[in-house]
Amino acid sequence: MSNIAGKAYAMNVVTPLKWGSTFLNKVIFKFVTTKIGVKYLKGLTTLSLIHYAKWTIIKPSQFPRLSKTQPKETIKYNYMIFFSNFNGSWTQYVDSFTSAIPTGLDLFWRKNIQYPGSYPMQPFHDYITFNQVWTNHYYNAYPMAASNDVKAGKNIKNKLSEFIVDTEKDSAECFKKKYDQLLLALQGDLSIMEPTPIVSLASQVVQDHYLQQEQPKKLKVECLQ
Amino acid sequence: MSNKSGMAYSLTALCPIINGSTGDQSYASITREFLQNLALDENSPMAKVANTYLCRFFILNDVFYEASPSREEHLKSKYIVFSSNFYGDLDRYLQGMWNNTEKVVKQLFQYCVAFDKVHDAKSFVIYIKNCQVKNNLFFNGSTDVSLDEQLKGLYLKQEFTQFAYDNQGKDAEYLQQAFQDFVKRTQPSKAKPTWLPGSLGTVVSA
Repeated sequence: MSNIAGKAYAMNVVTPLKWGSTFLNKVIFKFVTTKIGVKYLKGLTTLSLIHYAKWTIIKPSQFPRLSKTQPKETIKYNYMIFFSNFNGSWTQYVDSFTSAIPTGLDLFWRKNIQYPGSYPMQPFHDYITFNQVWTNHYYNAYPMAASNDVKAGKNIKNKLSEFIVDTEKDSAECFKKKYDQLLLALQGDLSIMEPTPIVSLASQVVQDHYLQQEQPKKLKVECLQ
Repeated sequence: MSNKSGMAYSLTALCPIINGSTGDQSYASITREFLQNLALDENSPMAKVANTYLCRFFILNDVFYEASPSREEHLKSKYIVFSSNFYGDLDRYLQGMWNNTEKVVKQLFQYCVAFDKVHDAKSFVIYIKNCQVKNNLFFNGSTDVSLDEQLKGLYLKQEFTQFAYDNQGKDAEYLQQAFQDFVKRTQPSKAKPTWLPGSLGTVVSA
């Protein structure tokens, strides 16, 4: 089990929905990417703790069947799989989701079978927990960075490149003036990144996994004793 | 298109596992164990696959029964769910995955239906595309630049923050010289030095 890779948490939620609801959900997903509908995603941007997230609806006939020897799926419901890569603990994420985009959440899951609504929180927590599938291997290219760090890094790189060209022939005094302006412009992006602290029992399990990988022989000896 | 957001691509593939077993362990169980024992972070095989931002594998054993009055139903096969967020083109990404992690890929998918037809990068691309399902909504809360760009940005963020901290209150001439040294050391316009993919800020020098 490794739902956690550095500061990112991998969530997978599999929920059933009926045929008619699928059509409506697909229309909603299209709608929220339009100019009028994009306001429903604004909360996701505001949350600012998501690297990447996606919703995938699979009909029974769309489950890959690669050979005649593979049994055909006989399920009747369609299934929506929600994948998210976010920063922070499970509870922080689910609660922020509920607080920031309750309307969006209800819009996306409303037609899912037995969806309790985003409020009150406890039934919503129960619903997500029940339908969550644990990740078996999770890889993150930058475990020390949050989504905001990645965006900040891009901004710093661009601004630094401009600054280097702009100040190439400047006097020391002029350079300092522009340097101070650069720091002001980047003040929201500058911070030192550190490894994530242990925020939950799940991340403790990941730490234990690291230890097992680092000290396999020692652990084996301990077992033998 | 819902698999793409700018240059960021989100792949979702469900690879059916053969219903069978070796001894008292099912193929799905063997595959899960294999995934759970893969090395993590910079030692993960996926760290060798260029432009992978974040990716995951899990075994979908079955669907969930949501209690009465909903219908109870079960999947006929178990699936390896492979989800990856990466930069660029799908074909090139999968070719890179095969070329850089062939041994792991073969072990991972060995019990999957029709994987016996995969012998090279080309047939691996076709195989994963046959297992691909389309996303309905892809939300990009990060950037869609190449992984090298992202890692260089993070490296510069870390180094420049330290620079700003170390040089508070310094006079103009000292600051200008220190900045020139900083540029010489960090090479903002060049690919290296940068962070090693998957690492906790390990710097890869030029």
